[in-house]
Amino acid sequence: MEIPYIVTPRKDTGLINSKIAIWLFLASEVMLFGGFFSAYVYLRLGADYPWPERSLPVLPGLINTFVLIGSSVTVVFAWAALKMRKWRHFQIYMGITVACAALFMVLKGIEYSVKFKHQAVRLHDYSVVEGHLGYEMDENHEYIEDRKGHHIEENMIRVKADKLTFSVKRYHTAWVEEMIAEAEHAKSEISLTESVKAVTEEGGKSETIAKAGEKLSVDLLKKIFKVQQAALAHNAALRTDALRDAWVIAKKENPGKSDWEYSDTVNIDAEALAPKMLTEVSTAAFTVDPPVEFLFKPRDIKEGASSSRLRDDTVIAGELEASPMVFHNTDAIDFQWLVMKAEEKGIPAETAIENSWLMQNNAFVREAWAWHQTEIEALRKKLNDRHGFKKDSEGKLTDEPNRVPTEKELYRIGWKDFAKFGEETKGVELSGAAKFKEEFFGPNYKARGEKTFHQLSIPREEIRHAAKFTPAWNTYYAIYFTITGLHGLHVIGGALVLLYYLVFGRKMYLENPEWLANRVEVGGLFWHFVDLIWIFAFPILYLM
Amino acid sequence: MSANAASHSGHDDSHDDHGEHHHDPGWLRKYVFSTDHKTIGLQYGITAMLFLAFGFYLMMVMRWSIAYPHQPLPEWMSFLFTDTWKSRWLLDGKVTGDTYNMFGAMHGTIMVFLGIVPLGFGAFGNYVTPLQIGAVDMAFPKLNMVSYWVYLVGGVIMCASFFMESGAAKSGWTNYSPLAGFADGQIVNQWLAGQTQWLIGLVCLITSSLLGSVNFITTIINLRARGMTWMRLPFFVWAMLVTGFLLLLAFPPLEAAGIMQLMDRVGHSSFFMPSGLFTQSDGLADLSGGGSPLLFQHLFWFLGHPEVYVLLLPAIACVAEVIPVNTRKPLWGYKSMVYSVLILGFLSFIVWAHHMYMTGMGSAVSTFFQTTTVLISIPSVIIITAMLISLWGGSIRFTPPMLWACAFIPMFGIGGLTGLPLAFNLVGLHLHDTYYVIGHFHYVVAPGILFGLFAGVLHWYPKITGRYMSKTLNHFHFWPSLICMNIIFFPMLIQGMSGFHRRWYNGGDAYLSKAADSTNVFGNIVRESIDLNIVMSMGAWALAIAQIPFIINLILSWKIGKKVENDNPWGATTLEWSTPTPPGHGNFTYDVAVYRGPYEYSRPDCDKDHFPQWEAPKKKTEEQANKPAVTSTEEQH
Repeated sequence: MEIPYIVTPRKDTGLINSKIAIWLFLASEVMLFGGFFSAYVYLRLGADYPWPERSLPVLPGLINTFVLIGSSVTVVFAWAALKMRKWRHFQIYMGITVACAALFMVLKGIEYSVKFKHQAVRLHDYSVVEGHLGYEMDENHEYIEDRKGHHIEENMIRVKADKLTFSVKRYHTAWVEEMIAEAEHAKSEISLTESVKAVTEEGGKSETIAKAGEKLSVDLLKKIFKVQQAALAHNAALRTDALRDAWVIAKKENPGKSDWEYSDTVNIDAEALAPKMLTEVSTAAFTVDPPVEFLFKPRDIKEGASSSRLRDDTVIAGELEASPMVFHNTDAIDFQWLVMKAEEKGIPAETAIENSWLMQNNAFVREAWAWHQTEIEALRKKLNDRHGFKKDSEGKLTDEPNRVPTEKELYRIGWKDFAKFGEETKGVELSGAAKFKEEFFGPNYKARGEKTFHQLSIPREEIRHAAKFTPAWNTYYAIYFTITGLHGLHVIGGALVLLYYLVFGRKMYLENPEWLANRVEVGGLFWHFVDLIWIFAFPILYLM
Repeated sequence: MSANAASHSGHDDSHDDHGEHHHDPGWLRKYVFSTDHKTIGLQYGITAMLFLAFGFYLMMVMRWSIAYPHQPLPEWMSFLFTDTWKSRWLLDGKVTGDTYNMFGAMHGTIMVFLGIVPLGFGAFGNYVTPLQIGAVDMAFPKLNMVSYWVYLVGGVIMCASFFMESGAAKSGWTNYSPLAGFADGQIVNQWLAGQTQWLIGLVCLITSSLLGSVNFITTIINLRARGMTWMRLPFFVWAMLVTGFLLLLAFPPLEAAGIMQLMDRVGHSSFFMPSGLFTQSDGLADLSGGGSPLLFQHLFWFLGHPEVYVLLLPAIACVAEVIPVNTRKPLWGYKSMVYSVLILGFLSFIVWAHHMYMTGMGSAVSTFFQTTTVLISIPSVIIITAMLISLWGGSIRFTPPMLWACAFIPMFGIGGLTGLPLAFNLVGLHLHDTYYVIGHFHYVVAPGILFGLFAGVLHWYPKITGRYMSKTLNHFHFWPSLICMNIIFFPMLIQGMSGFHRRWYNGGDAYLSKAADSTNVFGNIVRESIDLNIVMSMGAWALAIAQIPFIINLILSWKIGKKVENDNPWGATTLEWSTPTPPGHGNFTYDVAVYRGPYEYSRPDCDKDHFPQWEAPKKKTEEQANKPAVTSTEEQH
């Protein structure tokens, strides 16, 4: 049995199977990306925060655009070379295509890695700080290392724990193991506070499952968990049977009535059951002696002054230590959102900014803001000189300018502003090559240093929302990562297919060059589609 | 494809080398990782029926909770669970709200995505389509195999979540955010939460149906036999073609929504999470906010509505094949049915927001969607009317498949007609999210679509196995099913109109006024209809018993059913009946050519009562030539 029309087109449709299939596949891909682009429009139109316009580095994106367009051309040349039966040319052009794909992904990777390292914070007053967190240091500016020799990022919540209460059902094994290791490292002991006693057999006596003073281990928790599960199952079965019996009696007593008329009178006789019940141990409490300082990621813990709760329902009794978020290098201060919120309430922008936590508490922010005001004045003057003023109905010039600075220019000090600030007021110098590198890798904190990108410490209680520049930061980054990430996967997938033809195509070529040409054509169609998606994604994500 | 495809140029058919493949592919390749469309079709069919049974079981538990919210689940229904599972998900043996939600969400998901679509499109489409167009197999047999396995993996992932700490998904089959974005939020490793597994499973299912639909459409376009012109395609194939396009174009937006919801869950993004979200358990959510729950609904229903037709068209397709065979008369209005199904397919893409009238979309938008929704009833009614008229004046054989086909028409009719009021946004105010909606679409899906598919099973069973299914057992299956279906779903329409909400896990008990003179007006209304719950639940459990004869019939007839007399036992005209029984690898043993339309029954110029598509025309004798011209509507070019 052989499937027809694999190499030779069917006469009436004029198509081979794979060509129909790839067009259908591309149609569905259009619908998929159409879904994402619609989501982009929907989210942007409905955004209740200042949409980050033109916030991505354009240069690498632009290079990537031309790289992809170029590869779309070379893939056609590769196909044409096969049609003309020039194997060598095919190899060259296909090689260039795959190399372009690799270059694209490298640039994309750089762009992503910069984002993943970049922290942002929204305060309760809606002012936004962006920058580089860095790692915790001691007084001598040496990095502090944790148990495993890793540096500790300036974003951890510290709790000095003296008591841990685990949920027997829900404890997260990895976290328990981490705590045990941490305690060992600190030469502390985590041991059971009180003996865990339970009735484990129907009508039996209370037995000790774990003695007070036993050391915390996952096995111990597992043991208690098993006892709990057995007790729960046993008790539930008993209660179910009791309820069934109660219903049998109730039905006899209430003939001809609907259930709902007497359902509240049907109950389990808890007292009669009590002697048969097993003990359901739900928590296990441990003492940490001496108290150990644990570090948690903010998302894993709901902190409280003396008692905190982890996401696996572990309760940690102990003092919450000051855990501010410390930017070693602040590279953007953004009041756009704060101004937006203030204007909704009718508060003038200047007042709102003046009263913000940052301006009230940080001299550096005040200094930068004052400098920024002079910049804005210069910008206004420049715009007025270039674009002039509006005319009224009689043709006379008013003092209303044709162009005014945008909200972003007015209320955001970005990293390029800070760089200028450093250069103009602090005398920081940077070579041209280093500046060019910044276009790809973001601000150069080391070279520009503390004078340009200042340290800023924000107490935890001022923070409303904090995230790296990941999908968690806002819906713009969410859609940016989703579209470009999925597009990147398509680039990788397409490049792998084309690479396969390049490396293993020789055999196909020798057997039937037309067959390979068909496959390259189909692969090339997909490659053009990948290019097309980028042509749409680039302007909406980078330029608009 | 293998290398010698290169030598295969210019052939319009490929059966000349049929006999050359005598090598045994081995048990695993033949029955498990098979690339033969018939085996894959059967794999789809069996898997889908198992999922249907599981989904049915979930519903039986839910019906207990609705009818007897205060009584423990009886042992005959809960013996499958372990004691630990019961202690976790039942409260003193009673179904809890969480468990009900979980079962409800999974009942919907399983029935729609894992049961009916794979049975209608995957099983029937795979088995019958290549046979009916005279193809040796699907255009991409390996892709076909992958499609099945991805479907199975997706289904297993979804169902495995029943046994995880979080339990399975519990935010309804529609999985609306922000509810679905929050559910299972307490789980530390979000990849192991039921709600996340649902999304991963869904992405697998979408991938599977994408591969399937590309394969189907390519096959239908390019692998038709000689002479199989477009208007000679059986209606079944047309329906599959349209279904393929619906799957191809409607599923990707849901995939986009699924990926975004996955990002919300594991990447903590806020695609569908609005600003300032506050929950009782967690307080103010630690999220960026700024997303839109409505966006999810739009993307979901952009799939959701075409999906209804993905469910429906294969069933209509089966019925459209069964009716002409058993009335010995051409399908009435074949061409108008074809055009209707094409228009139906198109319109189904622009009606989605009628599921969202209550979202405050504004009168301009809802008027548009009302209009398109009313418009789409026109092609549906044309199709159903054409099938009804096809019965007129026929000599109906009440064979087992025909019983189901005959019941399909009125049952689907009730389902369709009860949908008309729902097309209007004003009515939505009253009926939105009530049992009326549940009654409406279950009339379409259960006694409608499932009856159509039962007709298909009985119709093609002799071709698949070489044996008939038992008539007696079929009667024991059919009549109770027909009665029970109406006992279950008709009271839903009544309850719905009195305001019963579709997601009450205790059947309205919580709203009840227990005293007749209560000032709780709504409670008094609930009181009037609440006892219907018990009737409906009894019907549901009886329906389960009614399926037992079918299962016995399906299994036993394979071995001991009455053998078919020849390869074309029903005296049908379409190409699948010209193959050996069962068809071997490569399907046809002769050079397939098609000479006429698909439903040439009772032609006056023909000595048999059917004139199959594959029979070469005989040279006319003088006597025949003098007869008046054929008036059949199916006479083709």
